[in-house]
Amino acid sequence: MIELILIIFTSFFLGLFYSFLIRKFSARLQWRIGPLVFMYKDLRSIMGITRIIQPLYDIIKLFGKKTIIPESSRKRLFIYSPYISLIFAFISIFFIPFSGISLLSNVPYSLVIVSYLLIGSLLFMIIGPIASGSPWAFIGVRREAELFLVTEFGFIISLFSMAISKNSLILWEISISEFNLVNITAGLLMFTSILGKLHIKPFDMSEAEAEIVAGPYTEYSGKLLGIYYLTKIFLIYDFIALFISIFIPINTLPIYLSIPLFLIISILIIFILSIIHVLNPRYRIKNALIWYIKIISILCLINIITMVM
Amino acid sequence: MSLLKKSRIYSPWLYHLHCGGCNGCDIEILAALSPRFDVERFGIQLVASPRHADILLITGPMPKQILPMAKRVYEQVPDPKVVVAIGSCACGGGIFYDPENYAILGTPDSLMPIDVYIPGCPPKPEAIINGIVQGILKLSKKS
Repeated sequence: MIELILIIFTSFFLGLFYSFLIRKFSARLQWRIGPLVFMYKDLRSIMGITRIIQPLYDIIKLFGKKTIIPESSRKRLFIYSPYISLIFAFISIFFIPFSGISLLSNVPYSLVIVSYLLIGSLLFMIIGPIASGSPWAFIGVRREAELFLVTEFGFIISLFSMAISKNSLILWEISISEFNLVNITAGLLMFTSILGKLHIKPFDMSEAEAEIVAGPYTEYSGKLLGIYYLTKIFLIYDFIALFISIFIPINTLPIYLSIPLFLIISILIIFILSIIHVLNPRYRIKNALIWYIKIISILCLINIITMVM
Repeated sequence: MSLLKKSRIYSPWLYHLHCGGCNGCDIEILAALSPRFDVERFGIQLVASPRHADILLITGPMPKQILPMAKRVYEQVPDPKVVVAIGSCACGGGIFYDPENYAILGTPDSLMPIDVYIPGCPPKPEAIINGIVQGILKLSKKS
């Protein structure tokens, strides 16, 4: 029970830390400084001591702003879908094992529950903007939906190829099973789909600034936008924790080894994601779909061959 | 100071509204975000939608054709908000200043309340950063 309460705070602060790290690494790779870890001494009285929790400040600020609800929107759907999206992303943290702690991941069919919850959260990130009635949001949502379908294909295949090769639908049993070749091929497949789901640079066409305003979130302001940002914080944690727990066998290690390993591996993943984010231009949606279909079909084939072997 | 007021100082988001200028000021605004000045150190970000913004940056001499759009963008920025006029044109019309000009309004202060004026043609990035800081301090005092 205590683990379940602790994981709320752990996942929240890890999610904040990861989104800070993406900003910091991207800034450093562009020869900028990015949000400061230690504020300059003469500015500390006004600007605070550290900016490690910069995403939290953004969210608190958004909660204190006025929320504008456009007249052309379908109000109920527009208002409630951020909350539903947050609930889905929030509940899924309990079903993903965290570095050797099983939480609720040993309940039957936990793999199916997690994939369902993550799909639900992303789905309500699409449905809310559709209800806003803005043409920019429509364009953004259309791109987001296409990207969602094509990334979901790789995501589900990688999850269930693991389930088939380990002969279990319980996430905890998969995470403590032996490491074999399917871990690598399915891991690669999952990594490519995480790129699209977290909108890392070649695949950020749904939020393309200066092209379609702010994409799906054009009409969202104040508290509702803050809820979407909060959802993204939990989603970053969800995807990274899910990736590590399924494909990298650290859950069999004792807890004093597995927690530092979890942190190191997650920071490494964030670093790789930041490099991809900085080095790439934005794809058009057509190019992204073609890229995904090519890569995913090849990876799926390799995955199935390794699974049969 | 409450956490909410602190967060307003720590994460001001800017929306950049271009009202018929020569693009000089706009380049200087982008220079303030570039590696040399890098305002993201203090959490300042340029956002794409006026609904996400806290601070509205206005450049240019405000042609009369753009007035309805400018007013609409101002109304879309959720409260509390601050407006910063950047460059000589946005401060008082600049070289376009003429009370009898049929096409150009000059400064937008009859259209919306302006909190900070940053003169210069174009102002240096240091001046723009200083002006934005003044805007942030005003923002923290608004309820």
